[in-house]
Amino acid sequence: MADLGRMIATKQVSPVEVVQAHLDRIAALDPKLRAFITVCPDAALEAARAAEADLVSGRTLGPLHGVPWAPKDLYSTKGVRTTGGSKILADSVPGDDASVVARLARAGAILLGKLNMHEFAYGPEGLNAHYGDTRNPWSADAHRVAGGSSSGSGAAVAAGLAPGSLGSDTGGSIRIPASLCGITGLKPTYGRVSRAGVLPLAWSMDHVGPMTRSARDCALMLGAIAGYDPADPTTSVLPVPDYGAALTGDVKGLRVGLLRASFTDAATPDVRAAVESAAKALEGAGAVVDEVSLTHVAHVATASAVIVASEALAYHAPWMRARAQDYQPDVRERLRLGAFVTGAHYVRSQQIRALLTREVDEALARRDVLLAPATPIAAPVLGERETTLGDGPSDVRAALLRCTRPFNFSGHPACAAPCGFTAGGLPIGLQIVGRPFDEATVLRTVDAYQRITDWHTRRPAAA
Amino acid sequence: MLARMEISVDSLRRTAALAGFAWTDAELDAIRPAVQRLLESLAELERLPLGAVEPTTQYRVL
Repeated sequence: MADLGRMIATKQVSPVEVVQAHLDRIAALDPKLRAFITVCPDAALEAARAAEADLVSGRTLGPLHGVPWAPKDLYSTKGVRTTGGSKILADSVPGDDASVVARLARAGAILLGKLNMHEFAYGPEGLNAHYGDTRNPWSADAHRVAGGSSSGSGAAVAAGLAPGSLGSDTGGSIRIPASLCGITGLKPTYGRVSRAGVLPLAWSMDHVGPMTRSARDCALMLGAIAGYDPADPTTSVLPVPDYGAALTGDVKGLRVGLLRASFTDAATPDVRAAVESAAKALEGAGAVVDEVSLTHVAHVATASAVIVASEALAYHAPWMRARAQDYQPDVRERLRLGAFVTGAHYVRSQQIRALLTREVDEALARRDVLLAPATPIAAPVLGERETTLGDGPSDVRAALLRCTRPFNFSGHPACAAPCGFTAGGLPIGLQIVGRPFDEATVLRTVDAYQRITDWHTRRPAAA
Repeated sequence: MLARMEISVDSLRRTAALAGFAWTDAELDAIRPAVQRLLESLAELERLPLGAVEPTTQYRVL
């Protein structure tokens, strides 16, 4: 996105050419990938012509002027249907933009369309019975999942259908598809970015953030969307730093804690080797790496499931009473579980949450960032239910969520980025976790890693 | 405790009804294994010594 913005600003390419090129790629590749639910060619080209006219008259809106993007289809977009990947909202057309969509429009970015997702963001595989399962562009025969729930975002950015996206992340829904599709995705600190106008899954665990091809592009998008929003009472009044300026490439003396038990040690051998290699690469660049474990993560899966099931059912209860058959089966089943969770279970889960948050804070009191796999496995095959991790057999869904969910629980910022490939050619993702509201250090670490490696520059052959 | 016994469709129906949901026996039977697993996991949480831990009630908004 940064490169495109620069080329547009210096008139090497026009916004119309850039938008048309992306629309052409969507037309050519999306029938197979199923990354988009809605494409807006006329509106995008009209916006591109307006952006071009502004440039000709000397008026620019900044580094995103004329740069196309596409959000996950749970961001409200004025006049463009917002389905949440559901049949229930198939014809829902919002009257306003979500706050962050409006901020990107004010920054000059051009909306290409709306991206596919696991229905109502309730699943880490990125499956959708209504609009088709998004396919991972790295699997030549299109039989592997893109990861979810922001599956369309992962596939579209990886395949070059959009240079950037906004996903949402309740248990890993930005970082899981980023990992499985070989792109860079940032879940900011809870409260850093407004959720106003974004369909919720679980209010206390939902985060929204950018999905792009590099830390630099994440920094660019984050700078445009971060900050206090009166429409979202959980947003922070802390000032938004210049994230681009933080990308110095310097990690000398940076203290990195490699998360071992339940994270790196639980990963498959190729993922474990890639993450350990990333730790060595950072060490070679001057970082100081030690090892750390989080004991309370053992209870995160249950406690997180309780909180998400409770909050999700609270939101969906009216539809679950009147239109339960309109949900896809796996989502309907997960929502139903919420009916069997008590208030005491919810509070007990919040106690676990407090313990884990404190433990992550303590780990980061002596370190600048933590390093872990983003997912302990690479992209599974569609329909695959069981896998084998470093510490034994696991349900695929639980495996996908395992390394990301703790930081939705704690609210810390976390970024997934490519760090290698399996023997079968599938992307492997690392995860950098930082202190609350210190996205700048998280992005600096990922950017420094991307300056000394080229994993993030690789593209799937299908794209 | 519910968590330590075999969950029946009847008990699920009554619990769901209390929450305002009228799901069929077939639908309840389909989710019975998942509810059983969830309640067994919750029983583990109940055994943790969490009495003095203040639960998270707000989210570090500055």
